[in-house]
Amino acid sequence: MKAYTYLMAKKLKLEGPSPPKPRSQQPHWDHHAEVQAFSSRLHENFSLEVLKTAFINPCYLQAEHRRRQGLAVGAEATALALEDNVQLRERGESFTRSFLTDWCRASFPVLPSDGVESVAGHLAGSEVVTYVARNLGVDDLAMSADCPVPDDVLHSTFMAVVGALLESSGPERTGLFLRDFLGPQLIGKDLFDMWTVVNPMGLLVEELTKRNVALPEPRLIRAAGASTVLPLYFVGLYSNKKLLAQGPGETLAAAEEEAARVALRILYGYTENRRPLDFSPLQQHQQPLIQSISSN
Amino acid sequence: MSSFSRSAQQWATFARSWFLIDARQQPPGKIATMCSVRLQGKHKPIYHALSDCGDHVVVINTKHIAFSGNKWEQKVYSSHTGYPGGFKQVTAAQLHQKDPKAIVKLAVYGMLPRNLARRTMMQRLHIFPDDELPEDIRANITEELQQPREIPRRLSEYTQEEIDAFPRLWTPPEDYKMK
Repeated sequence: MKAYTYLMAKKLKLEGPSPPKPRSQQPHWDHHAEVQAFSSRLHENFSLEVLKTAFINPCYLQAEHRRRQGLAVGAEATALALEDNVQLRERGESFTRSFLTDWCRASFPVLPSDGVESVAGHLAGSEVVTYVARNLGVDDLAMSADCPVPDDVLHSTFMAVVGALLESSGPERTGLFLRDFLGPQLIGKDLFDMWTVVNPMGLLVEELTKRNVALPEPRLIRAAGASTVLPLYFVGLYSNKKLLAQGPGETLAAAEEEAARVALRILYGYTENRRPLDFSPLQQHQQPLIQSISSN
Repeated sequence: MSSFSRSAQQWATFARSWFLIDARQQPPGKIATMCSVRLQGKHKPIYHALSDCGDHVVVINTKHIAFSGNKWEQKVYSSHTGYPGGFKQVTAAQLHQKDPKAIVKLAVYGMLPRNLARRTMMQRLHIFPDDELPEDIRANITEELQQPREIPRRLSEYTQEEIDAFPRLWTPPEDYKMK
């Protein structure tokens, strides 16, 4: 036993770790059972054929086709009776985008449209979706040419799953699914992490002129170590002699920009002490989520 | 406080502040405790002994510190030069005469933890015998701390109205001779 383990360790050191194998090619895999388990794990009623179609990516079909041609079996035998997930993906992606935009607009009514778009774009974007998909087990079920499943393929598979859910259960349930799985990814995220604003002071001046409030006047509130290499300045923005926001910074300019950002966060209601978003389950008597948003 | 960007919040949390203490008519022991607390960083919730989170403290007017009781004559500062017969003992008054900064410096040194960080903390303590500060230190100062002892007013500093308004404690008899 010891000799065996030593030999295997030596082999590992010489050749490096073995390439990852997809879970479907590892032992004890039953695709139908896994798809059923996926559906019940999410407490959703998927129609299983649509869901199975959703996991089949075009790159997998091409790779399979090439493999069968390589085996030189014959034109009839090479024809695969499987469908792509491209249409499901398109439907899922468009629905996700529109739902997330509506949900963000409803949660943060004061946020302007490019802010809403950035937040929705971040939530529907590659990073967040691939993180959620990997943790839901979509990367084990997805059929693709490479292993581990590349990010864009995983993104399209998740969107196809959303499309499948849309076909099976309708827009309300899909909306709740997206809200419950992609919504919490906003927790701990700052507004300007997702939305790049180049000139926060200019944006703040615009917002205040829209609301007919006096223009902000920057004043130095605290300073520490001004003549050292590590200074700290706290600059406050006052409109009509009342404090709007204050922010720290390494230089006076940086502190003023930070104060403008804090003022914008307070104006748009995206502070850390805001009321938490509503993730309560949909009750029968409650008005459905999408309809209430579109009526706004 | 809560809605700062991450980098700005971190910069503000770990920045070193500069405190100013006016030691005029204050007991040097109380001044020294305030200094030692801030030099170690114990006034911060992020304190850790190894974190090097102490701040700078500038003490001014140390020429005018005020010991309570008879300590000017009774408190003895001892030292030994290392050579035989080199044991020196000076009273607080003599030491203060020789070097007006020494009393506060020795008091703070004695109140800091006895580890290698003590010397670094002493380097962050700036003592000035009177009001004059160099320009760069004056530019660095963040805030002034409240003096630990409330300075009592001299009789000459009270206005005549305040003296008259004070309640008479006892009326002396007719033939009482005031000294």
